[in-house]
Amino acid sequence: MTSTTETRLSRARNGEFALEARDLGFRWATSQPMLRFPDLTIPRGEHLFLQGASGSGKSTLLSLLSGMQVPESGSVSILGSELQRLGPGPRDRFRADHIGVIFQQFNLVPYLSALANVTLPCRLSRVRLGQTRPDPDSAAKELLGLLAIPEDHWHRKVTRLSIGQQQRIAAARALMGSPGIILADEPTSALDADNRDRFLDLLLGLAKERGTSVVFVSHDRSLSRHFHHQVHLGGKS
Amino acid sequence: MKTRLAFSLALASLWHRRRVLALVCLTLTLSVSLLLGIQYLRTEIRQSFTSTISGTDLIVGARSGQLNLLLYTVFHIGDATNNIRWSTFRKLQEDPRIDWLIPISLGDSYRGYRVVATDSNFPEHFRYGQEQPVSLAEGEWFSDVFHVVLGAGVARELGHQPGEEIILSHGGGRTSFSNHEDTPFRITGILEATGTPVDQAVYISLAGMEAMHVGWESGVAIPGRTLTPEKAQGMDFTPDAITAAYVGLKSPVLTFQLQRALNQSAEEPLSAILPGVALSELWRLMGQFEKALLGITGFVVITSLVGLVAVLLTLQTQRAHEIAVLRATGASTGLVASLHVIECVALALVSCLLALAVGAALLTGIAPWLLDNYGINLALRPLNPTEWALLATVPAAAALVGLLPAFSTWRRTRSQGLGEISGQ
Repeated sequence: MTSTTETRLSRARNGEFALEARDLGFRWATSQPMLRFPDLTIPRGEHLFLQGASGSGKSTLLSLLSGMQVPESGSVSILGSELQRLGPGPRDRFRADHIGVIFQQFNLVPYLSALANVTLPCRLSRVRLGQTRPDPDSAAKELLGLLAIPEDHWHRKVTRLSIGQQQRIAAARALMGSPGIILADEPTSALDADNRDRFLDLLLGLAKERGTSVVFVSHDRSLSRHFHHQVHLGGKS
Repeated sequence: MKTRLAFSLALASLWHRRRVLALVCLTLTLSVSLLLGIQYLRTEIRQSFTSTISGTDLIVGARSGQLNLLLYTVFHIGDATNNIRWSTFRKLQEDPRIDWLIPISLGDSYRGYRVVATDSNFPEHFRYGQEQPVSLAEGEWFSDVFHVVLGAGVARELGHQPGEEIILSHGGGRTSFSNHEDTPFRITGILEATGTPVDQAVYISLAGMEAMHVGWESGVAIPGRTLTPEKAQGMDFTPDAITAAYVGLKSPVLTFQLQRALNQSAEEPLSAILPGVALSELWRLMGQFEKALLGITGFVVITSLVGLVAVLLTLQTQRAHEIAVLRATGASTGLVASLHVIECVALALVSCLLALAVGAALLTGIAPWLLDNYGINLALRPLNPTEWALLATVPAAAALVGLLPAFSTWRRTRSQGLGEISGQ
């Protein structure tokens, strides 16, 4: 797998787009109306704010962008690779190699420690492992330190940590191995205002250092000022 | 697929859910212990059963079925249909094909235990198990008319010591009211425990059997006509008949030839049986029962496995979030599904190991007690290939039933979107 992904990766490195989506259309069942999405283009290393009310198809769009679902029409390219051309297995591998994900909550595998949750991408992907310096443990500890997770929490059961800490650990996991793009689905909605701003600053700052683009989905328009690009998703269509 | 990751995730997940799974594991451990224990006992009992008598080529008695003859001569169960004339026995002794003969005369009892009248060929030639001889734990073999040697079980149960005098009863049964009161027997020796019916009998000489029945010709003692030990001195007590005889041949090749000759004997209707053949026929009869038992135990294990799957399927709802996280991080549907199979097999393996430990501990604990109280010799031995195979079916079956939650997870996650939690 590595040789083909590597050539795609190098092409993407030469190319300028972290994400390109054109004419996306999708329906969950043939009986349902087609959901249509606006075209998206994000240059590498830049961040996009996707704003939309609930029911606007945010989650569906993220499923398409992450390769969990294949669009019925149109195309998604991430780092120059068209996802719908890949089979289910290669799409999973592509996601492991190039995409970080942060959910609204329940981001962590409950039976792994904070540290093990953060190093998970390096165990699932050789590409992420290869981009981790010097080694997964040290890199994870550095990230946890930067995200202000106290050292005595690193080996603790993640279920005992606060929501804010859990979200920051999820951010650390998404940043591990510097993937090309991070998809964040309302990661701040469970946080209070202070925590939300701090989380956003840390995430976007660390992503910038690593050249990682962030697609940030939220209903909260006030957050949009942190981003280079903003797209508004319509209501039910 | 990421095999190492799958294993470490599955084990971490098992450890995380250890409280819930401990009970399932316990159920499985108990059922596997039961399965393994029954198979182990089956092998052991069969072993000890089929080696109740060894080294004897033929058992000769009055004409009857081979099981009947085997039961009353070897197991002391039931009664002889008829006797063999002493003259016939004498002729057998002169037969050049026969190496040795152990005469057996039955009919009386001592507090429920059979009285076996025999001679000194018994300790010399009788073998059980792996050709083991019967040896004396205490004292010596009888040398006088009114001497008796006790089987280990009898001595242990009744607490007799060499030197004591005992009264034998006429006929069988635990509570016989007609006792040979005038002719007490002195215990001269006690046999080593053998774990066979040998332990459950008392041994006297053929002469002793004759002597205590003088005056009993009508079935009850006629006062004044019975003997006392003093009167018996110097008398000749050659019996008229014996019940059966164990035969050892000079060459085993002659076995069938002699068996045929004896079965067709013109002088007296005789039956000669091969003890090994008769024992396996008897075992086949009883074997149905232990096979049924093993089958039932198999179902117990299956029930436990079904319980295990039920618990795993219930846990699936709890696991929806972690599966969403794993999928989002790039884990394939196969990897997520394989966690279930690995967890099932791992649980089964843990249960098997625990069952082995439980079995070994239990066996070590009860083996001395069993030997002391029941004369059953159960030794701790390595498992035989059949038992290993039986044990191996448990994780194999667990892998099979683990496919159920694995498949349902696989099917569900295949069509799920990013971060989508569809519980059921």
